[in-house]
Amino acid sequence: MSWDVAISRAVQNNLPRVYKNLENFPYVLDLARQLREAKMEVIRNMEKYVEMTVESVKRIGGIPHVVNTVDEARDVVGKIVGTGKTVIFGKSMVAYEMGLRDFLKERNNEVWETDLGEFLIQLANEPPSHIIAPAVHMSKERAEHLVRDKLGDLRKGATHEEIVNKVREFLREKFLKADIGITGANAVAADTGSIILVENEGNIRFTTVSPPIHIAVAGFEKIVPTLYHAMIEALVQAAYAGLYPPTYINLTSGPSSTGDIEMKRVSPAHGPKEFHLILLDNGRLDASKNPDLMEALLCIRCGRCHLHCPVYRVMGGRWGIPPFTGPMGAMWSYVTHKDPKPATLCTHSGGCKEVCPMKINIPRVLEKIKHVYFKRS
Amino acid sequence: MEGLRSLLLESLSRYGMPFPVDKKVCSSWTNELPRNGSTIIFTSCMYQIEPVVPILSKFGPYTGILRGVASLAKMVKPPKEELERAYRILNNIVKAIKRKGVDLAYLYEEEPYSGAVLLEMGMLDEFAEHARKVSEMLKERGITRVITVDPHTHNALKRYEEFVKFDVEVVSYLEVIDPSKKVEGGFTIHDSCLYSRFLNLREKYRSLILNSGISLKEDFFVTGRETSTCCGGPIGGVDPKLSEEIAKRRASELNRLSDKLLVVCPICYVTLSPHFKGEVKDVAEVIL
Ligand code: SF4
Repeated sequence: MSWDVAISRAVQNNLPRVYKNLENFPYVLDLARQLREAKMEVIRNMEKYVEMTVESVKRIGGIPHVVNTVDEARDVVGKIVGTGKTVIFGKSMVAYEMGLRDFLKERNNEVWETDLGEFLIQLANEPPSHIIAPAVHMSKERAEHLVRDKLGDLRKGATHEEIVNKVREFLREKFLKADIGITGANAVAADTGSIILVENEGNIRFTTVSPPIHIAVAGFEKIVPTLYHAMIEALVQAAYAGLYPPTYINLTSGPSSTGDIEMKRVSPAHGPKEFHLILLDNGRLDASKNPDLMEALLCIRCGRCHLHCPVYRVMGGRWGIPPFTGPMGAMWSYVTHKDPKPATLCTHSGGCKEVCPMKINIPRVLEKIKHVYFKRS
Repeated sequence: MEGLRSLLLESLSRYGMPFPVDKKVCSSWTNELPRNGSTIIFTSCMYQIEPVVPILSKFGPYTGILRGVASLAKMVKPPKEELERAYRILNNIVKAIKRKGVDLAYLYEEEPYSGAVLLEMGMLDEFAEHARKVSEMLKERGITRVITVDPHTHNALKRYEEFVKFDVEVVSYLEVIDPSKKVEGGFTIHDSCLYSRFLNLREKYRSLILNSGISLKEDFFVTGRETSTCCGGPIGGVDPKLSEEIAKRRASELNRLSDKLLVVCPICYVTLSPHFKGEVKDVAEVIL
C-alpha cells in the first residue's frame, strides 16, 4: 500500500472519530484547558518539579533516576537490566529516543516490543511513521506477509483478527517469561510519584505487572503537578488520539505490595518487586527556559496535528527525526537533537494549531526554529 | 539555504523585490491613482509577479531560480494574458474600494515589498530590518493606512508591530468592499491559510461571496476551518517537489466538491491551477 492510500485512510478513519469524541464528551475540552495550565506551571518551574517527583517516587518505594542525556539513560538502564535477560517494551517514544531497544539487544538481551504497531515495525526493522500508529504505513497484506515470514504458521489470506491472534500467541509467552518490562509514561504525578499510562491493547498493563522489574522512562515534560492532572492527561490524550473512553488507564505507584498477613506491608506481591522511574532531560530543561520553544513541551503526543498537516500527509515519517515526526516532530527534532532543519519545511498551513488540544502555536514555534536555522548557517 | 538567503537579500536590495523584476511590471496596472495620500493600496507586486513563480520553480528551489535569472531581470515577466488578468483584478479591487468613498493613493515603482517571504522562511532578523525600512518610508510619506490585496502581504504588515514601532493601520480590501455583481452558480472554495487560520478573515470573505449570490459547496472535512489545508505554495521556494505534491492532493480533494473553484490569494491561484480540473477564479474577478 502506498503512503498516499495509507494516510488518506488514516485521515478518513481518525478525524471523524476525534470530532465525535469532543462532541459526545464536551467536558474533555475543559479538561484540556486545565491540563494546559498545569503543564505550563511545570514548564515554568521544571527543576522544582523534577525534585518533587524524585522525592515522591522514593516515598512510595520506587527508585528514581534523573539523567541528562540519552547516553546516561542507556547506562542506567544497562545496569538495571544486565545481559541475557528477556525484556518487553510497552510503547514508548522516550525509549526510542534513548535507543533502548537496540542498545539492550547489543548487550545480549532478548527484546520484544509488545504494542502491535511497534512489534510490526520491529519485525520489519523500520522506523515508526506516526507517533500513535507507528505502523500506519503498513497494509494488512504486508503485515500478514511479515508475520508469516518471521513467526511462521499463518495461513495465506489471513484476516486482521488472525494476524493479531498470531502475534498475541507469540507474545503471551514473552510476557510470562520477561525479566524486565519497560514502558513510557503519559504523565508523572509530582505529588505522588505515580505514573499514568493509557492504552487500548492491554500490552502495557501486562508489561507493567508481569515482569519482576518495571522501568518507566519519561521526559521531564511528562511531569504534572498532581495525580489529578495525570489522570486528566490520560483522558485528554485518549480523546484526541481517537478512542474514548480508552480501554485501559494504568496507574502505577511504586512496586507491588501486600499487607494481607498481619497487616504488615511486604513487597512484592504479584506485580514487580522493583519500580524504576528514569526522568530524561535531553534538551527539555533548555527548552523550558526558552520562551520561543517552551510551548513545544506542552505536547501530549496525541498525534492529531499530524493528520491535519499537508506536509506530513505527503512526507509521513520522513519529516523529522524518528520518533519525532510531523508538526510536533519538527519542534521536537530541535528540542532533543538541536536539529532545526525539519522546521524549515513548515508551510504554516495552521490546521495543527487549530486542533492541538494543548493549543500550541506550532507554526510560530517552528518559525522561531527556522530563525535559528538561518542564524546558524 | 545560505545561498538562498544572500540571493534573496541581494535581489531585495537591487530590485526591491525578492525576485529580479522590472518594477514597471509591478506598477503598470494603473496610472489613475495619485502618488500621494494618507491611505494607499499596498500590492507588494504579489498579483503581478506571482504568475512567473511556477515557471521559475521548474529550475529548482529558490537558489536555482535566482541564480538562473539574476542577470536577466527584465526577462522575469509573466505571460501577457496572466499579467492582464492580474491588472484586471487590481483594478476591480480599486474600483470597489473607491465605491466606498475611500481616497486611495498608490506608490507605483516606489511601492516597497512587504518582506513576507523573509518572515515566512524564518529570516526574522532580515524581516525586522526590512520592516524598519518600510515603516520609516511610510511614516516619511505621511501614510497612516494601507489597504492590502493579498494574505501574505496582509500578514507580514500586520506583524510589523512585533518587530518595529509601526503606527500604520493595516486593513484588507475584503474588509472595505461590498460585492458589486450578482453572480449565479456554485463554486467550492480554497481558503488562504493565513486569512482563515491566522488573520480571522475567513467569515468576512465568505459573507461577501454569499452576498454576491454564489452558493458555496463546502464539506466539513475539505473546506472546514480546521480541516482544510495549505495549497503548498509557500513551501515552493524551499522544496518545489513537496509543494507540487501538496498542491496535487489539495486540488483533487477540492475537485471532489466541484469543478469550479474560488481562491482568495494569488499564490493559491498559481499553485492549484495546474492541478485543479476545471475553472479556478480569484474572488476579486468574480464578485467585483
Ligand atoms: S503538538 Fe498538539 S496536536 Fe500535535 S501531538 Fe502534540 S499535543 Fe497532539
